[in-house]
Amino acid sequence: MNENAKYEEALAQLETIVRKMENNEYTIDELTVQLKTAQQLIKVCRDKLTKTEAELLEEQSKGQ
Amino acid sequence: MSDNRYTLRQLNMMVRDAIEMQMPDEYWVEAELSECRERGGHCYMELIEKDEQTNTPVARASAKCWRQTWQVLQPHFERVTGQPLHTGLKVLMRVYAQYHEAYGFSWIVTDIDPTYTIGDMERKRQEIIRQLKEEGVFDMQRELRIPLFAQRIAVISAAGAAGYGDFCRQLEENEYGFKFEVTLFPAIMQGEQVEKSIIAALNDIYSHSAESTQQRAFDCVVIIRGGGATADLSGFDTLALAENVAQFPLPIITGIGHDRDESILDMVSNTRVKTPTAAAALLIDNLRQVLERLNNAQQRISMVGHIIIDARHRIEMLQQRLSVAMERIMTNQKHRLSQIELLLQGYDPQLLLRRGYSITMHNGRAVRDPQQLKAGDEIETRVEKGKIISIVK
Repeated sequence: MNENAKYEEALAQLETIVRKMENNEYTIDELTVQLKTAQQLIKVCRDKLTKTEAELLEEQSKGQ
Repeated sequence: MSDNRYTLRQLNMMVRDAIEMQMPDEYWVEAELSECRERGGHCYMELIEKDEQTNTPVARASAKCWRQTWQVLQPHFERVTGQPLHTGLKVLMRVYAQYHEAYGFSWIVTDIDPTYTIGDMERKRQEIIRQLKEEGVFDMQRELRIPLFAQRIAVISAAGAAGYGDFCRQLEENEYGFKFEVTLFPAIMQGEQVEKSIIAALNDIYSHSAESTQQRAFDCVVIIRGGGATADLSGFDTLALAENVAQFPLPIITGIGHDRDESILDMVSNTRVKTPTAAAALLIDNLRQVLERLNNAQQRISMVGHIIIDARHRIEMLQQRLSVAMERIMTNQKHRLSQIELLLQGYDPQLLLRRGYSITMHNGRAVRDPQQLKAGDEIETRVEKGKIISIVK
């Protein structure tokens, strides 16, 4: 699976958790686990974005 | 025999009479010019006929065109053929014979048919084109490409020509501020020297390029002329020049300004334009296109940057929704708990005692019915501040 697919998948999973949370679909017992997963997904997405941005900036500076 | 002696003049006069008597008419003659010069308004020519196979002269004669005729014939010839009479041209002339006792034999020219010369030039052009194609060099220049960053330009032009000035000015004053590095290789751009002169300039450019092994000295070559008085392009239609241009390793742009048919030089060059100014415009446009491509690419790269920003924004929104949802869930749960707590508080017996009620217990249970008790049972009454032990009577 490539990096991009990982990002898209993480994002989709994150959106599902948020939606379920907003709709009160989790029991209190599940909450902690889901919140933890959500925070991990956010980190994965953020890291990927930061990495991509750094790569882009480097490519851009090469071209100048 | 001494009676039969003549002076040279007498004898020549006899030749003159004989010719005038025997050849009184005018004749159309085809010949090649092996010499041609103007003096005192008259035109003096040497006519020649060569054997087609061996190329050796088989006939030769001088010819003259007197001033009055020449004044009419010369401009007409130049206008129709685009060049002056010069050595090497094939001509069709109307002549009559003249023998002058002092100056010898001459054909006197009374008319020249320029269309014959055009036909002959065209035949020669076609022959050169055929030969270039046969050699496989005719299209070679068009396989080259003007480089993206064509800025180092080798120019072949007459040094002081107005066309060269126009070219340089146009390049310098381009609206985009592009920098061009122009090197002039002077050449004669008119008359019979054109071929030799341009080939020498091309060789010069080539050796410049060969010297710098790391990088080519020039990106392309521009051959321009303009501002000259005549439109004499005959020198540009030679096989040797066409071969040199066609096989030159750098792309060549021609701007040798003329309205009639393309010269062979134009046909074999990489790109032809009409004027030196147009050649400059072409080079500027070439760079402008490159600039446009770069700007476009830059823009597209920064659009990718926007994608990242959008994605980050989306993540932030999700995170925010997450924490809002969490907070709400927690608040709801806490609220629910405190409601339950309140509800439970209503059941607290201490609350009743405080309001003056009391609870009677027997064996640890609340007494709800006097029937539960009999005389002598010990009961415990709880009140706000303590308990009372009593015996039932």
